[in-house]
Amino acid sequence: MLTYQTRRSILLLFLLLFGMAFVSAANSESADVGNCLLCHKYPGLSRVDEEGRFRLFYVNEDIFDKSVHTRVKCEDCHTDIKKIPHDTPKKVDCFVQCHIVEPSSEQKFSHKEVAKFLAASVHGEVAKQGNPKKHPEDLPSCKDCHDNPLYRPLSFFKRVRPGISETAMGRCRVCHKKDDFIFRFYNHVTTRLHKIRNPKNIAEVCARCHDDPELVKRHDLSTRAAYSYGETFHGKAAHFLDERIPDCLDCHVKRGESVHQMLSHNDPQSITYKTNKAKICANIECHPKASPKLADYKIHAEFNFEQGTAQYYFKIFFIALTGGVLLPMMGIMFLDVLRRLLPNAGLNRKK
Amino acid sequence: METHFKIKVKNGKKYFFRFTVNQRFQHILLAILVIVLVLTGMPLKFPQAFWAHQIYSVFGGIRIAPFVHKTAGTMLVLLFVYHLIYLVYTFYQGQVIPLKKKNELSIGKILKTLISHPIVPNLKDIKDILNLLKYLLFLTNKRPEGAVFTWKEKFDYWGPFWGIAIMGSTGLLMWNKELFTKFLPGELINFALIAHSDEALLAALFLFIWHFYNVHFSTSVFPMDTVFITGYLSEKMMVEEHYEYYKEIMTASGYPHEILPPHGVRKPESEHGAVRDNPVKLTDLPRI
Repeated sequence: MLTYQTRRSILLLFLLLFGMAFVSAANSESADVGNCLLCHKYPGLSRVDEEGRFRLFYVNEDIFDKSVHTRVKCEDCHTDIKKIPHDTPKKVDCFVQCHIVEPSSEQKFSHKEVAKFLAASVHGEVAKQGNPKKHPEDLPSCKDCHDNPLYRPLSFFKRVRPGISETAMGRCRVCHKKDDFIFRFYNHVTTRLHKIRNPKNIAEVCARCHDDPELVKRHDLSTRAAYSYGETFHGKAAHFLDERIPDCLDCHVKRGESVHQMLSHNDPQSITYKTNKAKICANIECHPKASPKLADYKIHAEFNFEQGTAQYYFKIFFIALTGGVLLPMMGIMFLDVLRRLLPNAGLNRKK
Repeated sequence: METHFKIKVKNGKKYFFRFTVNQRFQHILLAILVIVLVLTGMPLKFPQAFWAHQIYSVFGGIRIAPFVHKTAGTMLVLLFVYHLIYLVYTFYQGQVIPLKKKNELSIGKILKTLISHPIVPNLKDIKDILNLLKYLLFLTNKRPEGAVFTWKEKFDYWGPFWGIAIMGSTGLLMWNKELFTKFLPGELINFALIAHSDEALLAALFLFIWHFYNVHFSTSVFPMDTVFITGYLSEKMMVEEHYEYYKEIMTASGYPHEILPPHGVRKPESEHGAVRDNPVKLTDLPRI
């Protein structure tokens, strides 16, 4: 029989152990060192801001924990928040240096490099010749295309499928002891082996600007890019959520480069330049047997008059043919129904 | 060649021979393949439509449906090739050999028989269309007297004929783009896409509205005209659609006194069902 004190100390020990387990679990799941979730865990946390917009400040820990920024501390991005409760914070600057250490260089991590890429790309604010572009306010910055995406891990075991392979995790555990590390590393690497967004989502991101008729007009673009992509088999398959089909970036980004280095199709350095684009189609993963002529296919055809009269009139011919055949036939059908309803209503009834 | 009775009498009703087993088989295969092609093709033409995802899923979604479409398309092209061979063969057997036997074989003669072949559109079709319009506009009570193949049937034949030629060639072109663009310009695929997609819509609407109205939904045949299964057409439909040919065949088969009056004409002494027992002679009919 245990004494009251002994029982109480065992209970306390258990409570302590449980508490420690919870604390360590919380640490492993997110980097909420500043205890921001104390308030931001409440789904109703919101207000109307100075510009009159309704803003939701709720952070869903479960979802955030599966996102690529889960290991970054809140205050690494929201650098101006020093105390709780805090004032209205500034907008996050993606080029800030954060406290994550990049393992290969052992330097503190920053997205600053991307800014250089972007500046030299078709989306940069200064043209290659050095003169500033018209309407720089239309050009995209980080958050126009990016949000905080979720990991999209792939499992490679007998076949490739979405998700995490427990078998692979087992192999990792042989050398790496910390499950948390394995899990993050696995997620990071396998998410990077393919794209975080499927082709449909990528086309939608580009469409935000490239399908906007005003922006297309203002920047003198030759097509509503995502719309015309949607008219091709590629775009239609993307709409049916095919992951294997090429999206905007597969053709517009040179292999081995990043999305941020995309160039205009008028730039001879660009993969989409008229003398280079055959290489895109004939890529080993796409149409390896294609001749350069295949690249003359107008992938961004809208079949309108401005883009090409031949295709336009060819399209008009078929519309006319369809109307010319169907309308008279439907007229005859309509009259036929009427005649059958009124069989004896003929005007010329000779007895 | 198969031989058929021109008129079959069953339970006191006359049935008129229209299509051989071979032709019926070709038609049913064509119908099945076209339906599969439409169901696996239209979701791609209208991917945003509310039905697109559901119909596509039935055929296995984006991974399988394109394969189903190509398989059905290949079978349809093969059927088309078979039909072309069949056409040449039957023409040779039915028209060229008799000419040979009569020692009248010449290119001019062959062309003449070709032009006067009953499935080839001719002047009578235009007259029939105009007369049908007169009838439909209540200007007359007399329907045009159709020959062995009416203008509607010729439309139903030559429409898909042109359609399969267009759809098949453009489909093969887009499917084997790597091969064809070795010697053809890449922009041709844009034209192929327009033709394939727009002609498909025309064909589908034509078949499912016009053809289905004529053979399924029209009050004369609802729910369907069974001639595509049995190969024989009922006397009622024969009178309505092919009166000229009907008179010809009735006379030739030894029933000239049993010829029914044209469609829509009131039977003078008619009690219900009396017509068959007391066949009306053409000379007895009121003049219209």
